[in-house]
Amino acid sequence: MNVFPGRLATDPRSAAATTVAGRRESATSLDEDGIDVTSEADVTLGEVQGAAQAIIRNVESVIDGKHSAVQIALTVLLAEGHLLIEDVPGVGKTMLAKALAKSVDCSVSRIQFTPDLLPSDVTGVSVYNQAERRFEFKPGAIFANIVIGDEINRASPKTQSALLECMEERQVTVDGHSYPLARPFTVVATQNPIEMEGTYALPEAQRDRFMARISMGYPDSASELAMLDSRDLTSPLSQIDAVVTGAQLRGMMTAARSVFASAAVKEYAVAVVRATRDDRDLRLGASPRATLQLIRAAKAQAALHGREYVLPDDVDSLAVAVLGHRLVPTTRALGHRSQDSALFIEETVRRILAATPVPTGSQGRL
Amino acid sequence: MRWPLSLSLLVLLMAGCSALGAILSGSAWWLLLLIVAGVVFGAAAGFRRFGVPAPVVPVLSFGALVLALTLFFGGGTGLLWLIPTGDTLARFTSLVTAGLRSIQTQGTPAEVLDGILFLLAVGVGLLAILMDGLAIGLRLPALAGVPVLVPLLAPGFVVSEGADAAALISTAAAYLLVLRVEMHLRGLSANRQGGAAELGATGTSGAVRGAVIIAAIGIVGALVLSVVVPVRDGGAFGSRPNSALFSAGVSPMIDLGQDLRRPKAGPALHYRTTATEPPYLALLTLDDIKGTSWLPRPVEADPEKSVDAIADPPGLSAQVARTEAITSIGIDGVNTDLLPVPVPATSIAGLTGQWSWSNETRAISSSRSSTVGQRYTVTSLEIQPTREQLRESGGRYPAGIEPSLLVPEDTPAIIGETAAAVAQGTESNYDAAVAVQDYLRGNDFSYDTEAPVEDGYDGGSAEVIATFLEVKRGYCVHFSSAMALMARTLGIPSRVALGYLPGTRTSTVIGGLNRYDVTSDDLHAWPELYFVGVGWVPFEPTPGRGSVPDYAQPESSGTSGVPTGGAAPEIAPRPNDDPGLPSVTTDTAATVEEDLPATLWRIALVAIALLLLLLVPGVVRQLSRRRRRRHLASGRSGAPLAWQELADTAVDHGVPVFDTFTTRELAADIRARPGVRDTPEAQDALDRLLVATEQAHYARGSVAGPGQPGAAGTGLSADLDLVVEALRRGSTALERVRALLIPASLSTSVLRRMGLARTAPMGADTAANPHRAADA
Repeated sequence: MNVFPGRLATDPRSAAATTVAGRRESATSLDEDGIDVTSEADVTLGEVQGAAQAIIRNVESVIDGKHSAVQIALTVLLAEGHLLIEDVPGVGKTMLAKALAKSVDCSVSRIQFTPDLLPSDVTGVSVYNQAERRFEFKPGAIFANIVIGDEINRASPKTQSALLECMEERQVTVDGHSYPLARPFTVVATQNPIEMEGTYALPEAQRDRFMARISMGYPDSASELAMLDSRDLTSPLSQIDAVVTGAQLRGMMTAARSVFASAAVKEYAVAVVRATRDDRDLRLGASPRATLQLIRAAKAQAALHGREYVLPDDVDSLAVAVLGHRLVPTTRALGHRSQDSALFIEETVRRILAATPVPTGSQGRL
Repeated sequence: MRWPLSLSLLVLLMAGCSALGAILSGSAWWLLLLIVAGVVFGAAAGFRRFGVPAPVVPVLSFGALVLALTLFFGGGTGLLWLIPTGDTLARFTSLVTAGLRSIQTQGTPAEVLDGILFLLAVGVGLLAILMDGLAIGLRLPALAGVPVLVPLLAPGFVVSEGADAAALISTAAAYLLVLRVEMHLRGLSANRQGGAAELGATGTSGAVRGAVIIAAIGIVGALVLSVVVPVRDGGAFGSRPNSALFSAGVSPMIDLGQDLRRPKAGPALHYRTTATEPPYLALLTLDDIKGTSWLPRPVEADPEKSVDAIADPPGLSAQVARTEAITSIGIDGVNTDLLPVPVPATSIAGLTGQWSWSNETRAISSSRSSTVGQRYTVTSLEIQPTREQLRESGGRYPAGIEPSLLVPEDTPAIIGETAAAVAQGTESNYDAAVAVQDYLRGNDFSYDTEAPVEDGYDGGSAEVIATFLEVKRGYCVHFSSAMALMARTLGIPSRVALGYLPGTRTSTVIGGLNRYDVTSDDLHAWPELYFVGVGWVPFEPTPGRGSVPDYAQPESSGTSGVPTGGAAPEIAPRPNDDPGLPSVTTDTAATVEEDLPATLWRIALVAIALLLLLLVPGVVRQLSRRRRRRHLASGRSGAPLAWQELADTAVDHGVPVFDTFTTRELAADIRARPGVRDTPEAQDALDRLLVATEQAHYARGSVAGPGQPGAAGTGLSADLDLVVEALRRGSTALERVRALLIPASLSTSVLRRMGLARTAPMGADTAANPHRAADA
């Protein structure tokens, strides 16, 4: 199923109206056993936009009314980052992760984190092959293009850190051997809010590894009604087909990386991130890694819209998702609102954005 | 960038200076001070802008002040009118001397002569340097209010009311403005450093708006008040006790001269009288010649001596004929604590406040009340001594009269010699006095209010009188004090009375009595000589002024060249009038008619100035629009310029635009405007502009973006026209007028240029409008 014949559109406004023609055309099926892990399609930004639209449509056929969450999830995927979906149980976190994974024709694995999950379950283990008289590496669940880590905060800190190490290094080291992970490699982790029972909160340092955190939120009543109808008989996931190949996804990632971020936009991102460090309501501001990931995500979002340059608006729209989970509010500022610290942080980030002037890098004044 | 602070300091200083209006007449001086202060503040801000180190700025500002002073006061002596030379310094010195002297000698409101103006300019310039140094150099703007207290408090030392409320209020408002601007600038710098995010876009613009409103109120208030509040004139020489600046040494004679030289006479008072001849109205008598002037004999104000019971004039014997006259007086412009009354008054009715009298000086004075608005009736005596009675007067003078015989030790000989020569051959004191009076009224002497001042012999001191007797030019002060002193050298007790001439008879008749109008030009001084048995007898030695009493007429000819006090009252010609014109018929209405057009003119001028001022923003905006269009058309500039013009137009039409808007957010706001919302072509044009602008700003290879020159320019112009047209169409009439006359974008761009609205952390050039607010 190739979606790339889609119309090129660079106008950001008309982009939303672009229809991807021929999405449902039958296409060459891929090899059953040998998933192509290295080849990369040459993809233009216009094609990135078309493909992205296709993926979003695909995912949204499963999850109703969560456009921005879907969009950010795809952005993170394109930016080769990892995504943390945090919300109460039952709002479709896993559904989003699965739908996203299924829309791309690549290997998907799913780890259900539990307190007794061992690090080797994630990374893999060397077992002795008696026939060949040597140790043989049995890859763990992490060896996939898209790894869905369900309820990541239920696992013990030891297992969590094993996963997070892989996320950062993009390779697994067992018994002195390093095994590189596939590209793309994206961890989509879901977690319940830390206040829930039986959870190990992710430490700040580990939260920092995720490019973005989104929360699903409850669907509105219309979406919930629609959901009741559509899920009556079959699982909606079974109706989803992949719309891009792994090679194409890699091409899209490369294209996203090539998006141009002007000095002005970088200055803006730096200003925003620096502002979080000086803010009176925040105990911990965002790290330089956050700046890096903010720009990377902004590039991916620009690519998502078929634009070859980043706008400050990209930074704006991603700031809450990219910075939010890295910030720690002061207890004083949080006060009685400790129940909704995520909301408080979102407000704080928006306040910072609203107060940060936008440089244009150009002297259009006369 | 501290321009706004400099500007607010200027407003503050000038608001403070407006308080000086209470003691200075006219308003031109204020404008000159404004220019001087503007030069100083502007120079300081300019120097600072060019990176001159803070400690050097006041020095250079002082240099600028000197240049400005040379230009305004140097009279062309400076090199290129600017660089002071030796001549300039000499001129300055003489200006200072003249200024100090006129400060000492003038009454309030003082005429702003060159000397005073120069001193004011120097003072204001120095205050400006001080304020600038405090507020900007040392960053203590709160202290900048202190120097302003100088002009603010000065009137309080001079007139009892002090500065008027309007000046105080506008100064307070201006002070708040300074603090506000400073707070705002501080907020900006805090914001620039990072954290203080609470100073969001709205807070910033709110502060600016508040400051602008305060400033506007101050300026408009000042303009309106300057038109509405009447100029106080016609003031008598105010011998206010405790006055520090003007009339300090109580030299009423010099005050009187100043008042006579006033270019425009104001109404002083009016009266009706039953007297056969219109009376002289005395304010006080001076019989103590000391130093440079005659002074009233120091007499304690005695509350016991209330005006309800005034003793008979001293020394008047029953043999002297007298008639009682009743005079009703209404005060128009005299503002002093001395009551003008016909002498000798025997009773006064209808006064408000506490007034007491002094037997020695015959002055009716009050320590608390003033003459303003008084209406009172005076009963006085017309004394008609015969020549014989005067001639026969003799014997010992009463003890209280002795001081009136004192002649200062260093009196030049010429006075005594002249007196002796004139009085030679006379047989009695009276004849000698008449001889002296006739000598002074003779053809040798001429009346001149200017010559004594120009030649430096103003006043009534012995030296002045000696000079006067040689030069033979002077006015009532000289004539009267000369006669008084000459009389003393002849052994006749004498003193000088100050007051008003009888004034002008008008055709208005009430109760069978003509109304007389007395103006400040009728201020007069005349000598009184003491004759035993008759008391104090007034004489009139001033030629061309007043009338000679019957008893003082030369015996030989009742109708010599000297104006006589015949049946018709002799009206004194005013100094500035053609002496040949009889002013008897002058009607009161004439003065009113004269004043009215002047006031109208002032109102019209201010109105025109306001109108022009109102047009300035619109014109400036129009010019910048033209310039941008030209640049666009020529292809020298690209989309960012078109976008800025669009953004400014949006601001003009009331679209809120903040520093923190992105281009796209602003576009969304514009798209949501009524006119644009329903015009798809305009929306498309807006999108094209937006994309072009974003590309110019953020796309690869267009960092410094003049954009794509050439054909793109015309396309941009066309798109710009489409959107602007739609914006305009969708705006209300009021918004359109506002956009035309008070383009809001101008203020933001001005503020930005002044450093007020620029909040970007990167310094340099954060171009126009793509700024953002909360996404929510």
